[in-house]
Amino acid sequence: MTLEFKLPDIGEGVHEGEIVQWLVTEGDVVKEDQPLVEIMTDKVTAEIPSPASGTIAELRGAAGEVIEVGTVIVVIEQSGSGAQSSEKPAEKTASANGKPNTEAKACTAVLNKPAPQSAPVASSGGKVLAAPATRKLARTMGIDLSVVTGSGPRGRITQDDVRSFNTDGGSVTVPAMASVASVSIPNDSRKPFKGIRRKIAEHLSLSKQKAPHFAYVDEVDVTDLVAIRKQLKPIAEAQGTKLTYLPFVMRAVSIALNEFPVLNSTLDEAAGELVYKGAHNLGVAVDTDNGLVVPVVPKVQGQSIFALAHAVKATSEKARKGSLTPADMTGGTFTLTSIGSVGGLFGVPIINYPEVAILGINKISTRPMVVDGAIVARDVMYLSLSCDHRVVDGADAARFVNRVKALLEAPAQLLV
Amino acid sequence: MAKTVKNVVIGAGPGGYVAAIRLAQLGESVLVIDKEPSLGGTCLNWGCIPSKALIHAANTYETMTGDAEEMGITATGVSVDLAKLMAWKDGVVTKLTGGIAGLFKHHKIEHIQGAASFVDKHTLSIAKPDDSTETVTFENAIIATGSSIINLPHLKVDGEVLIDSDAAINLKEVPKHLVLVGGGVIGLELGVFYAKLGAQVTVVEMQPQLLPGMDTDVVNALARSLKKRKNMTVHLNSKVASVDVNNGTATVTVETPKGEETLSADKVLVAIGRKPNTSGLSLEKAGLKADDKGFVATDDQLRTGVPHIFAIGDVTQPPMLAHKASKEGLVAAAVIAGQPERLDVRAMPAAVFTDPEVATVGLTEAQAKEKGYEVTVGQFPFAASGRALTMNESVGFTKIMTDAKTDQLLGVHMVGPHVAELLGEVTLAMEMGATAEDLALTVHMHPTLSETVMEAAEAVHGLAIHSASKPPRKAAKKSAQNLAKV
Repeated sequence: MTLEFKLPDIGEGVHEGEIVQWLVTEGDVVKEDQPLVEIMTDKVTAEIPSPASGTIAELRGAAGEVIEVGTVIVVIEQSGSGAQSSEKPAEKTASANGKPNTEAKACTAVLNKPAPQSAPVASSGGKVLAAPATRKLARTMGIDLSVVTGSGPRGRITQDDVRSFNTDGGSVTVPAMASVASVSIPNDSRKPFKGIRRKIAEHLSLSKQKAPHFAYVDEVDVTDLVAIRKQLKPIAEAQGTKLTYLPFVMRAVSIALNEFPVLNSTLDEAAGELVYKGAHNLGVAVDTDNGLVVPVVPKVQGQSIFALAHAVKATSEKARKGSLTPADMTGGTFTLTSIGSVGGLFGVPIINYPEVAILGINKISTRPMVVDGAIVARDVMYLSLSCDHRVVDGADAARFVNRVKALLEAPAQLLV
Repeated sequence: MAKTVKNVVIGAGPGGYVAAIRLAQLGESVLVIDKEPSLGGTCLNWGCIPSKALIHAANTYETMTGDAEEMGITATGVSVDLAKLMAWKDGVVTKLTGGIAGLFKHHKIEHIQGAASFVDKHTLSIAKPDDSTETVTFENAIIATGSSIINLPHLKVDGEVLIDSDAAINLKEVPKHLVLVGGGVIGLELGVFYAKLGAQVTVVEMQPQLLPGMDTDVVNALARSLKKRKNMTVHLNSKVASVDVNNGTATVTVETPKGEETLSADKVLVAIGRKPNTSGLSLEKAGLKADDKGFVATDDQLRTGVPHIFAIGDVTQPPMLAHKASKEGLVAAAVIAGQPERLDVRAMPAAVFTDPEVATVGLTEAQAKEKGYEVTVGQFPFAASGRALTMNESVGFTKIMTDAKTDQLLGVHMVGPHVAELLGEVTLAMEMGATAEDLALTVHMHPTLSETVMEAAEAVHGLAIHSASKPPRKAAKKSAQNLAKV
């Protein structure tokens, strides 16, 4: 019997998806639940599992092609007794965005990005050399040990190796540079520009085309904020949360947005109306192996610093593991991007269209400042705000940043 | 009105009860359904625990009537009251199953007695002992229904003469002649037990070795020991063709390589294996299907094809081991609680409580060679262990196999006194990816049986102190040189 498998509804509001790559070829024997194809929507990349066991009779569509939900993408030839109704796939994939409590957890199984295929550290049985607790730590952090370089004897991976792999942002340790004489100049190479990377490109181009950007930059004396965060950090750690500066900025931004709601608006060009958004749903740009993703922390109004820290931790972990659901990435009203963790004086961010403003959080560094006529060392950070000039004027932007700055310079206000 | 629960565990054996407790520890509510009134499953009620109690008692009896004499201890009038022994064994079982009930109470885990079957993906029907049924809807389920004894169509168990292992742990008197159909773990443990109590025991095994699948060296050593027992006979490559029961006596026809043999026995124990308990679950109603042998396939998070239904223990795949079920239960519970946990076991230990005991973890020598390893073997005999001799035990050895290229442990196989207790160290070593050198460099308490692990690890490099035996099966010199480089 032949089963025609249609592209299932992957998530709310998704009507089409692009074939990133086929994971099977025609003639392959597949098992039920075996991943067939990687489909990318404008929100996530998902592996679509086979609805049944059988032989792949036909693949409809090539990598790069955009397929509408409900279109037949695979024809599976089933051997007689194993035949199953085609009802099943819809239910299976529905778990990707299913009920929050139970089936949402199932989504990790479906949406996980494939483990990077690279040669494991030499060890008997082809398994990575690491103690059980180290392996568990890697699972918890969502790290594939086969791409971590071990510092121990025979390449043994320690817990420190796993932790530092994570803070390195997942970069694979590069072997020591060969001497200049032996360097060979590689040829130009080409790589398909597709998947999430292409979506990012399209999205950013749209933003720059539609929204005339202007940027506004100011410096903030965060000496007190540094002190308060230092004080709160161990308390947060006791609760299992790493306290960064981001939750403080989120709180300050939310308070300021109450006073300058135009920065939390969006332009409905069709209706010719400016839509003031009720909730402050803050997008938080996260750098992942697959590129930049912007999960949303919803309804931050009135949330405590710790609550925000918990929420940020949860979403960024999901982002790094590649297990974000479409729901995690929709509904943003204002975006924050932490440029400072990498370095630089400040960056000028591009608006996450159709939002109208994005705030860049830059590096904190100790610099000489004049306080009460004397030059003293202070912790200073730049804030860089980009706005859609169709909606926001320079004075609004300046007043908004002034308010955020005032809150961050006297951070006790953020705790009440 | 259907009862609604967040999580349900079907089966309260070492997989199910452990999963339930872990779920509770992680803040999840859980309902456990088991068809038996007593918790603990096969392991606690009819398997591991009662058989070990009996075996310990038989060892004690054998020491008093045999070994003790040699040490100048003469015991007279020693006898076995089997009924009393069974009662003591039952007491041990009750204590442990009651302990689980206590833990359930402590963790506020609800328990319903009844046979559960699926109605759909989110509903179970429970057939209770009083013939009533209850319906339960759930968000997540763990199938932990374990396994049951396989029966042979031509050897129908009657519970009197033809018995299974459940009956064999509850006999009222020691059989005069016990014929064992199957020389696997369960049969041999019970066979040695009854042999120690005085029964004539004949083992009939179809395969060319006892304990099929286990490392040949240790199995051969065990077979030699069993052969020395005057009241034990082993037929390999043999088959019980028929059993005729007449007036409480069985006439057993055995096909051996030497020809047909007819035995007269008062008990015939059929112990040829176990099969997963999945047939009564109506799996198809939940969208699941067991394979031809009854196993349910899972991924490494123990999820079945239906992502919110998990399966653990004997129902997933062999080996059928209590501790494997428990481990899988822990992983499934963590996954349900939202943790990114996965089953990641590199060493699965197993033991046979015969006399001598057999304990094994990792690859057998045959498997290691099949996988293309260049294998180095280090072996150390208990006859050279001070502690073993002070216990009047000198049978057996510890055998360590390593990958010659990396010195990493591939498998450890032991036969001898209390070797099951020695498995912990080597299992941890294998999980850690340790080398034989790691074991050899670790100071081992003297005098203990564990020193044989260290000595066998030294023997891998040809450096065992207390053994004049041959160098390891690779040239000793080469290994010693390699050691310097490692």
